[in-house]
Amino acid sequence: MDTLAAVPSLPTYELTTHTLDNGLNVIISEDRLAPVVAVNVWYDVGSRHETPGRTGFAHLFEHLMFQGSANVARGEHFALVNAAGGTLNGTTWCDRTNYYETVPSHHLATALWLEADRMGGLLDALDQDNLDNQRDVVKNEKRQTRDNQPYGSALDLLHELAYPPGHPYHHSTIGSMQDLDAAELIDARNFYSTWYAPDNASLAIVGDVDAAEALELAKKYFGPIPSKGSFPEPPATDIAPRLGAEVRRTVEDRVPVPRSFVAYRTAPFGSAEYDAMQVAAAVLGGGRGSRLYKSLVLDQQLMQPGDAIVESWPFIGGATLTIADLPAREGVAIERLEAAYHDEVSRIVADLDDDELVRAKALLTSHWLHHLASVDGRADTFNQFATLLGDPRLVNDALPRVLAVTPAQVREVVADVMRPDNRVVLTFVPAVSDEQEAAA
Amino acid sequence: MTTRPEVGAPRPWTFPKFERRNVAGGRMLTAHLPGRPLAVTSLVVDAGAVLEPSDQAGVSEIVARAMSEGAGGRNSYEFGVAGERIGATWRSSTDWDSLRVGFEVPTGELAAATQLLADAARSAVFSDDDVERVLDERIDEISLERSQPAVLAAEALAAALFQPESRYAYPDGGAPETLEALDPAAIRGYRDARLRKDAVTLVIVGDLEVVDLDALGRVVFDGWDGDRAALPAPVIAPRQPGRRVVVVDRPGSVQSVVMMGHDGPPRAVDDYVAMTTMALVLGGMFSSRLNMKLREEKGYAYGAFGGFDTRKHGGVFAARAAVQSEVTVPALEDMLAEIERVQREGITSEELEQARSYRAGVFPVNFAGVGSVAAGLGDVIVHGFADDHFDALRARILDVTLDEVNATASQRLHPDDLVTVVVGDASGFEKDLEALDLGSVEIIRDDQ
Repeated sequence: MDTLAAVPSLPTYELTTHTLDNGLNVIISEDRLAPVVAVNVWYDVGSRHETPGRTGFAHLFEHLMFQGSANVARGEHFALVNAAGGTLNGTTWCDRTNYYETVPSHHLATALWLEADRMGGLLDALDQDNLDNQRDVVKNEKRQTRDNQPYGSALDLLHELAYPPGHPYHHSTIGSMQDLDAAELIDARNFYSTWYAPDNASLAIVGDVDAAEALELAKKYFGPIPSKGSFPEPPATDIAPRLGAEVRRTVEDRVPVPRSFVAYRTAPFGSAEYDAMQVAAAVLGGGRGSRLYKSLVLDQQLMQPGDAIVESWPFIGGATLTIADLPAREGVAIERLEAAYHDEVSRIVADLDDDELVRAKALLTSHWLHHLASVDGRADTFNQFATLLGDPRLVNDALPRVLAVTPAQVREVVADVMRPDNRVVLTFVPAVSDEQEAAA
Repeated sequence: MTTRPEVGAPRPWTFPKFERRNVAGGRMLTAHLPGRPLAVTSLVVDAGAVLEPSDQAGVSEIVARAMSEGAGGRNSYEFGVAGERIGATWRSSTDWDSLRVGFEVPTGELAAATQLLADAARSAVFSDDDVERVLDERIDEISLERSQPAVLAAEALAAALFQPESRYAYPDGGAPETLEALDPAAIRGYRDARLRKDAVTLVIVGDLEVVDLDALGRVVFDGWDGDRAALPAPVIAPRQPGRRVVVVDRPGSVQSVVMMGHDGPPRAVDDYVAMTTMALVLGGMFSSRLNMKLREEKGYAYGAFGGFDTRKHGGVFAARAAVQSEVTVPALEDMLAEIERVQREGITSEELEQARSYRAGVFPVNFAGVGSVAAGLGDVIVHGFADDHFDALRARILDVTLDEVNATASQRLHPDDLVTVVVGDASGFEKDLEALDLGSVEIIRDDQ
């Protein structure tokens, strides 16, 4: 059977690339379907580049980028984009920091000017008040998303357990409260001076623009910003490709039902193993027709339903993680769910039916098309491939690479990666309260 | 660069032209968006949570989910595989005013996906086993949701704002208390009574250049007989006016989720645009009064928001933030002060200008994709909007005056009737809370 039968004809995303004299990478892609344009900037710095005692700094710094710059008053960045009818945000992860706005296309110049002003002129506006205020905001972000959420510590623990101390992924992006408290104004200024420069950034402009005009605008606003020339060597990411032994941690917490996360050390984003893992993850845990959904949700009814039971992080530093998320149904012993899960994973190597790849690939195809359907999604993905893999045109190869994965490669990657001595099993169980203990 | 850019002329934009048609006695709404590789085919059903009897709260959501658990001669697993093999992603949801189910799918598979959708609507199995599983999964899911303090706060606010006989007193997705009393026969009965041809509109959005829309309509509607019995008007029943406080005590919490709200008007009020523009300035944008005060000035919270939830038959005004525990009381004082100040003094012309240009400007950004246009068409169906609704709304937003906005601020915000909800460690703020003029304090212990 032709395994590509269900796949529609794939669009090719046309784009042009340019390097300004100061080293800024510029990606432009026209899309005239709607009168909107996405402006997206990736800086090649994330929590992976942080030094010991300064965790959480890349993210704290991202907040400071919205506090004004040479010609933009405090609060004005949001106000100007909103008044233009635009939406905006910024995010930080291990490998990068991104900033983006989507605006009606006649406001392109405003969006570019705002990004350029903070790329070149942040220090003019950065002061102790901004730092203290945003430090408090970030600490409340950490409380809201981690400390006051059921299973909220899962992310931080997975980093800790899956990467050895000293590895740049050992700590998560949010950092520690102590390090956030210790951050001083001089640290923030140094961080900016070290990493924020046109020759460490990539600008993507996608949407209702004329490519030549957009390039002129990019040159006009970003061209005068001086390049930095050199950047520190990021901390080494060398790591064994596999864990070597199972790592287990059980956490008692205020949670309603037990839940396990099973994480495997996997080859990084951009590798052939990573591509094979995408298909394996979809066969195993992507969608309602996946193996884990059928076995654990429908037939055995051990697990709460989920759309994507197995997913990978797109990290590039040495190794990334493929993670299964297993929330138990009420009254189901977590040991039973975990055993059933491992059983299902081990079975795939022996009895994978080639036909299962048809469903997995059709699903991966429409998810990819969905991801790239919006101008903002496309701009961010161009910058992802440009920054992490060196060429935004690789976006057009990404899906064909996944569709070329064979059943033999799926069996191989499952056998190689999803094995007992290469997994972290992190399990949350409901804490027994004092009263319940007394009663027992 | 000190010179700010000149802004060019806006490119013309109107909401995608959509077409209403009747096929085989059924209603369709379709919009052609050229060049999109994915399309949406979905059913918008007049079976929102507000029409549920209070003692069956949550039944519509169960129906929406069970529709994809086997249909057209396929069991649950086979139905899932059939959609996914053509790259179709199933989505179902229930809100106060509608039940929506459908697929996003590569355009070339629109016909196959619409056939599956018709099967789900007309021949879904609803076997005892599948329906019981869906019900149990939903009850477990609610227990997961309720472990989040923000969800507990929203539930406590709804229960305090409406009387128990109102469907609005419970979450739109239902509660374990009512779901546990349902059985498969009752759920099938509800489905049979409500999921009728005259309650359904087929919505199709995408690159429809070569799509035979009538054929898709026939797949869904041909030979489908029988209309609904008339339904009683929903009971809204807001509670008595006046201030009160509900605390959900969770010892050990590092944050308090704080909410302040009162019941509000439905979507169809005349001052809808003025009212929601005012609310945007109060709590609907990053530069809103609430976010500027609680986040950017005080650093109490990651974010603070507020606004009107305008439903077909009623609504709610609510402000909310998750603040660090030590500042629970000062944060409540600030939140109250900002609501009172807007109610008393209105907003400034600069704020109006910003809110207006944001709201009108963001239309092309918000309606660029097939999913958001399909959702917009769903709203056209639910609220009975005219063909030029979105363009007229945009024009009205640009027209609204400061006088209109400030009149609505004084009429639509009711600081004297605010119900305050706090979910957090009561030991830290209980005493100080009594001293605030927020009304009587009731403390509920979260036993989870």
